[in-house]
Amino acid sequence: MSRKTYEPKEAPTLSPEVRVDQPREASKAERVEIDRPSFKDWMDLRLGWYGFVRKNLDEPMPPGVGWWQTLGNLLMTLLIFQFVTGFALAMFYTPSAEGAHASVKHITYEVGAGTFVRGLHVWGSTVIVIVTALHLLRVFFWGSYKKPRELTWIVGVIIFQIILGFSFTGYLLPWDQKAYWATVVGTRIAATIPVVGHMMLVLIRGGEEVGALTLTRFFSLHVMLLPASLLVVAGLHMFLVRKHHIAGPVVPQKGKPVPFYPDQLFKDAIVLVVGVGLLVYLAVGLPPSLEAIADPTGTDFSPRPEWYFLGLYELLKIMPTGFEVVATAIIPGLITIGMFALPWLDRSKSRHPGKRQWVIMMGMAVILLIGLLTLKGLLDTPPEHKKAPTNVEAMR
Amino acid sequence: MPHNEEQDAEALMSRRKMMGVVVGVINLGLIAVVGLPVAEFVTSPLQTKRKKVWVELMPDDQIAPGEVKEVNFSMKIVDGYHETERKYTVYVRRDEAGVMAIDPACTHLGCRVRYQTDKHRFVCPCHGGVFNDDGTNKSGPPPKPLERHPVKVENGKIWVEREV
Ligand code: HEM
Ligand code: FES
Repeated sequence: MSRKTYEPKEAPTLSPEVRVDQPREASKAERVEIDRPSFKDWMDLRLGWYGFVRKNLDEPMPPGVGWWQTLGNLLMTLLIFQFVTGFALAMFYTPSAEGAHASVKHITYEVGAGTFVRGLHVWGSTVIVIVTALHLLRVFFWGSYKKPRELTWIVGVIIFQIILGFSFTGYLLPWDQKAYWATVVGTRIAATIPVVGHMMLVLIRGGEEVGALTLTRFFSLHVMLLPASLLVVAGLHMFLVRKHHIAGPVVPQKGKPVPFYPDQLFKDAIVLVVGVGLLVYLAVGLPPSLEAIADPTGTDFSPRPEWYFLGLYELLKIMPTGFEVVATAIIPGLITIGMFALPWLDRSKSRHPGKRQWVIMMGMAVILLIGLLTLKGLLDTPPEHKKAPTNVEAMR
Repeated sequence: MPHNEEQDAEALMSRRKMMGVVVGVINLGLIAVVGLPVAEFVTSPLQTKRKKVWVELMPDDQIAPGEVKEVNFSMKIVDGYHETERKYTVYVRRDEAGVMAIDPACTHLGCRVRYQTDKHRFVCPCHGGVFNDDGTNKSGPPPKPLERHPVKVENGKIWVEREV
């Protein structure tokens, strides 16, 4: 019985391998090593990884690509560090209002290398925020978000949001005073949004007040939803970066593209040594601390957010009464929308900063605003900023 | 019957279309099976009803007119699977008209306001909100006066009504 092959009329792109009655021709490796392949070849016959590795090592780098293009790779490595240290921390951490603080204390002071592992994770989050910002800014100033890399940029903006989500949810997990009060205030931001604000507040907190259900909610987001989403979008990001290749300098330089390996890979490695070196230095030099257990009573604790949310915090100070939604939702919302829409806001064909002054000015203004506000926040730490009373055993 | 390739191809296309639709419907069903219960599960805090209870604060004779006192009290709350004794703070103030219970949560973003006895005012450590000693706004970003909880004096005790 002969089977007819199906030849679609509209979609004639089925590759030859798909056709039923035409066996694929054996590749060279198959012909030569078909009987007793080496382990590597055996694996390649199944995975086809030689081509993949080759392709990535040969990835063309336009002349002028250099140190600025190493940040993405550093980010990836730092994220892997977060995955590994996070997985370790989760083995000793207890996500409950009764257990969280004690388990973090145990991790910090009793578990072997606990201070260091926690230090890597805590400082890692800070370093990641900085490196993400640098990477984003370099892409911005190089205009690399322009056609055909719009989607790469958009996926990048999503990654940025996810990273901030990680910081916000992770901050609560030690369940100490700092964590508790930053979350009380941080979640209240949602409530300033008209109409749906209160509903959002309850949804985020898992109830009217920050409590045991907030903790489990944040934990679930921090270790399940956010990592899984990040894995997917970061994978997509890398796929797009490779598909469209790195954009060269804004003014193309003379010369031929060079392969990624060895020069760029070597630069990447140097930057890894510096970046991870800084991380280790911070983790060892400034070991993570733990304040007294969260205590909803008392009025003498001044909540302060993590430093990269200080800009927002200061913005709230200067907003006139009744306009807090401008600081909590409208300005951050506009910045976010602006980031997503950037490839379409900037319509100039050229990537040269001089040819897109308007966008560059806007970008600078936003950077300046966030920078100044953050600086102001760092400088005026309230003098009455006191540590929490340590004698109260709340939330039992 | 002679084979007609054209008809075969057409038949295949319409089978594709039909089964594609069925698979699409199955996928929607699968999404609903896991998505709907999870959505209800995750949003269930929105359904929680709160009830009001009276809690004893302090003896009535321990606060004089013109005074403001910070009082800690605790009450049983159900927080997920466990019932806990949860602690709260409230400012009790007495004037000629009677007693009032002022919530320490700043109406701006919820930091706890502090009472400055010498200046007869509440200040918020976060963004500089200031309230008069009856909780009304004096200056700064807070949009509303501090919340007041219902109070009563009964059997020589001051009681406050709270939602749990
Ligand atoms: C998990 C975080 C991230 C990782 C692991 C990552 C990784 C990378 C890597 C390895 C590259 C190529 C080398 C380089 O230019 O540095 C790259 C390029 C790029 N990234 Fe990211 N990135 C991340 C976040 C972001 C964010 C937040 C944005 C922007 C909002 C962004 C936008 C882009 C764009 C548009 C390119 C192409 C640049 C070009 O072609 O010149 N990325 N990314
Ligand atoms: S929370 Fe009190 S002034 Fe902002």
